[in-house]
Amino acid sequence: MADVGAVLRAQLPGTRLALKDVPVWLFGMFFVVLWAAPFVWMVSTSLKPSSQVMTPVVEWLPREVTLENYRNVMKYPIATWAMNSVIVAGVATALCVLFGAMAGYALARLRFPGRNVIFLLFLASIMIPPEVGVVPLLLAMIKVGWASTYQALILPTIANVLAVYIFRQFFLTFPRELEEAAIVDGAGPFKIFFRIALPLARSPAIAATVIVFTLNWNNFLWPLLITFDENMKTLPVGIAAFAPVVGSHTQLEGYATAMAAVTLLCIPSVVLFLALQRYFIEGITTSGLKG
Amino acid sequence: MAKKLEMNRRRFVGSAAATGLATVMPGRAAWAQSDMELVHWSWLAASDAEVWGKMIDAFNEAHKGKGLQIKMEVIPEEQYVTKVNAAAATGRAPDFGWGTAGVRAKMAADGVIVPLDDLADKAGLDIADFDAFAIKQARYPKYDNGLFMVPMDLMSLQPEVNTDHLKEAGYDPETFPGDGKTMLEWADKMTKRDGDTVTRSGIMMTGSGVQPTVTWGIVAAQMGFQRASEDLKEAAVNPEAGIAAMQYVLDLFDKWKVSTRDVTDRYKAFGTGQGSIFWTGPWTLNGYVDQGLPFRTYLFPNIGGTQKTYFEMGGMEFYKQQDESRYAATMEAVKWLSDNSFLWTTVGRGASPRKSILNRPDYKTAGHPWEIRGAFVDGMSFATEGEIPVLAGPDFTIYSGGNYLAKTLETVWAGLAKPEDVMAQIKDQWQRGLDAG
Amino acid sequence: MADAVVVDRAAAAPRHARSLSARGDIEWAGYALVAFFAVPFLIFNVGPVLFGIYVGFTEWGIIGSPQWIGLENYRTALADPWVRVAFVNVMKYALVIVPGVTVLGLLFALFVNQSWPLSAVSRTILFTPNVVSATVIGLIWVWVLDTQFGVLNHYLGLIGIGPIKWLTSVQWSLIGVSIASIWWDMGLAFVLFLAALQNVPRDLYEAADIDGAGRLAKLWHVVLPHIRPTISMVVTLQLISTMRIFSQVYVMTDGGPAGSSSSVIYYIYKTAVQQQRLGFASAVSILLFIAILILTIVQRFVLRETARG
Repeated sequence: MADVGAVLRAQLPGTRLALKDVPVWLFGMFFVVLWAAPFVWMVSTSLKPSSQVMTPVVEWLPREVTLENYRNVMKYPIATWAMNSVIVAGVATALCVLFGAMAGYALARLRFPGRNVIFLLFLASIMIPPEVGVVPLLLAMIKVGWASTYQALILPTIANVLAVYIFRQFFLTFPRELEEAAIVDGAGPFKIFFRIALPLARSPAIAATVIVFTLNWNNFLWPLLITFDENMKTLPVGIAAFAPVVGSHTQLEGYATAMAAVTLLCIPSVVLFLALQRYFIEGITTSGLKG
Repeated sequence: MAKKLEMNRRRFVGSAAATGLATVMPGRAAWAQSDMELVHWSWLAASDAEVWGKMIDAFNEAHKGKGLQIKMEVIPEEQYVTKVNAAAATGRAPDFGWGTAGVRAKMAADGVIVPLDDLADKAGLDIADFDAFAIKQARYPKYDNGLFMVPMDLMSLQPEVNTDHLKEAGYDPETFPGDGKTMLEWADKMTKRDGDTVTRSGIMMTGSGVQPTVTWGIVAAQMGFQRASEDLKEAAVNPEAGIAAMQYVLDLFDKWKVSTRDVTDRYKAFGTGQGSIFWTGPWTLNGYVDQGLPFRTYLFPNIGGTQKTYFEMGGMEFYKQQDESRYAATMEAVKWLSDNSFLWTTVGRGASPRKSILNRPDYKTAGHPWEIRGAFVDGMSFATEGEIPVLAGPDFTIYSGGNYLAKTLETVWAGLAKPEDVMAQIKDQWQRGLDAG
Repeated sequence: MADAVVVDRAAAAPRHARSLSARGDIEWAGYALVAFFAVPFLIFNVGPVLFGIYVGFTEWGIIGSPQWIGLENYRTALADPWVRVAFVNVMKYALVIVPGVTVLGLLFALFVNQSWPLSAVSRTILFTPNVVSATVIGLIWVWVLDTQFGVLNHYLGLIGIGPIKWLTSVQWSLIGVSIASIWWDMGLAFVLFLAALQNVPRDLYEAADIDGAGRLAKLWHVVLPHIRPTISMVVTLQLISTMRIFSQVYVMTDGGPAGSSSSVIYYIYKTAVQQQRLGFASAVSILLFIAILILTIVQRFVLRETARG
């Protein structure tokens, strides 16, 4: 008698997929493909000539591929917006990660009264909608003459509590011996931090950088309010102008151009993510697990 | 000691000579010893924005080397007032920007915009050349009847109609109905439906936002509704007319089925042929011409009893500066823009408020063809629904998608509230607005 | 005698050695290190919020100084029908998005955790929406959910479901925005669950195998209890995030029609930026903060209780 059970449990060569699981696998993969569909649709639409976009029949593959939508999008100062995003997100992230590392280290390793209270306050701040402070901040920025400037875009985004959290988690698991050797040599806390702790914190540093950079890159409300002219807009704000309900370019542009704009907007984040996937996910999970 | 005096005298004479020379030489005013860059904020966002950009470019071209340039910044319309106020509150307001007549009463009260009578006088702006109606609209009687903007154009809302749809339905594009009943017949014939659902609107409408609100406003006015009495004391005069007008809009969707709530972007929809009759303003001309859309503009029909339509007047308003010497330069720039607004009022947007320009022989022939532009200009004769010039003015404006009126009416369009109840609410709120001054 | 010994030893040990190991000594450097983060935090993040709280008790239209009016704003806010609509909406959003994200995240994590073919690619696909900005999400989904020409309605039409007005009807606009939000947010939950699953100790599985447990039984009795803290955390994070929903609403529906997809932050933006009612807007944001606080506490309490049961 053939052992059906054994056959079903046998794994397909080179995989961990058992024969009996193939239907489940197919079912799951169907949903994964579905999950990717909107992106595919976005790119597909962006390559279609605008007259072929609103068709009664859904065409996944463009009948004819054209780059005219991308050319249309380029009429707008996309490069400027992109550069602004790079500068703003880049500087803010660098400072955030550095300061977050310093704070995370101190809160985890050094003893001083109130360190737990401070950490709790940082955590509690996540619950406060930042929108409470947005208009007062807008006014303050205008008052000191920083409206529509890089400083105004960068400064409020430096203090992201996530960075502190990630580093603190990491440093809590730090073995004491490494520091003690340095102390015997007479090193002070700052030196210990920069010479020993930080260089070893490569993993949380990359994770924090990637996560914070993505958050900053995608930041919407604050740049929307604080930028007063086209040249200072960041990429997400600039491209929002293609949105039918909100945007100002509606009479002029259609869905095809909007999709091209959005595709361009996606590229930096997606590329960054694909390159650094491991760190990205590691960062989230290390901070998440202990939480 | 003597040498110093000598130096001072020479310098004094030198600068006096320079000043004297400057006032005599054309194109360079006394203030222009150094280059000045005026900051101009614009919230224009439809296809008119492009043309306005050309106007600013033309100014800068003509004034290169003359020490006066304009730097234009574009602000989203919904944030405009907030940002101007925020900038003014910290002493950094822009020099001038686009204003709409009648809705800036609060800015006048707060001193954010400044009256221009004296400045206009000094700069030689020919007020007499302006249409009297335009000048009247630019004044705020409550604030010394000051002139608070330099009118740039007068826009009226008129129906743009897709001529391909007209011909398809067997109509002659040379004519258009003058009364509401016939217009509905035409709209019905041009509407494409799939069962009970409208797939191509006879009358371009959206489920919420500006389009239904302004339609209501115009039809209500035609039916005799007054948002405020002449003396600005009583709100919502003849509310039954207001209620009937609400029903009219609802009927477009539900009874006559010539419109659908599913459209969210009216400009794009009309531009892609999803609607036949679209009443809108001249700010759309440029884009549709660029697109090659086949359309003509006609005069707004008489739907409610009297032929009336909405008008809006745009102009340049001046913001309070800490350095008051800037006003002269700003007026200089605005005067030039107004004197040279032929392009703006034949290609960019509405009818010119300047008689000299309107009466130019080529006014009707230059720019966009008269058959798409003419109705906006001629239609000014019955465009009587404007803004209510009180502090709460923005609550009253019918051309808005996000103000109190629009948001409250939305509940009617969505079937969530009854016209009578909403009318009562609106009357209440408006009365409070009028009482506040 | 003993004290003298202790004192002696303390005196003998080098000072720097004491700084990290001796208890009771304050390491002032800690404050210095934290200060770099705390200073911008206080100035740009806490300061404006405190000022915002103050503004909540005033009437302020940008021009001129704020006028103190006490609790008037709060009274107006609680009586304002649009505020009610906004708060009800964020509750609805939470009811749709939080379970959506949690369940899908867990299901996908379980799937990918099997390490079947293409699991790495799947992982990437499932997480990628999370890294792009609201504008992207909004624009893509506005197009996908388009009533006449959108992809979703096309396929629904093939199975006989009439065109749903995802973003233009009062009934569906909130759902439409929620769909886009789930697609956006699920990646985070997915990744957190995946990590948690990978940390379930092998021996627990083996013990269940010995007991003859089938796959589903293992899931219920072994896996789920073990990842309970992660589930709780995902729910908390998503709940807070959903109550603050803004960008998608702004980009996709502008809160409409008739405020049916409006959110609290969206309404705050409108009243602050479009109507310059800063005092009122600030009061509403404080109300939101209170709501979030209460809900978070309740949620954590409930999940902990069920754990014990």
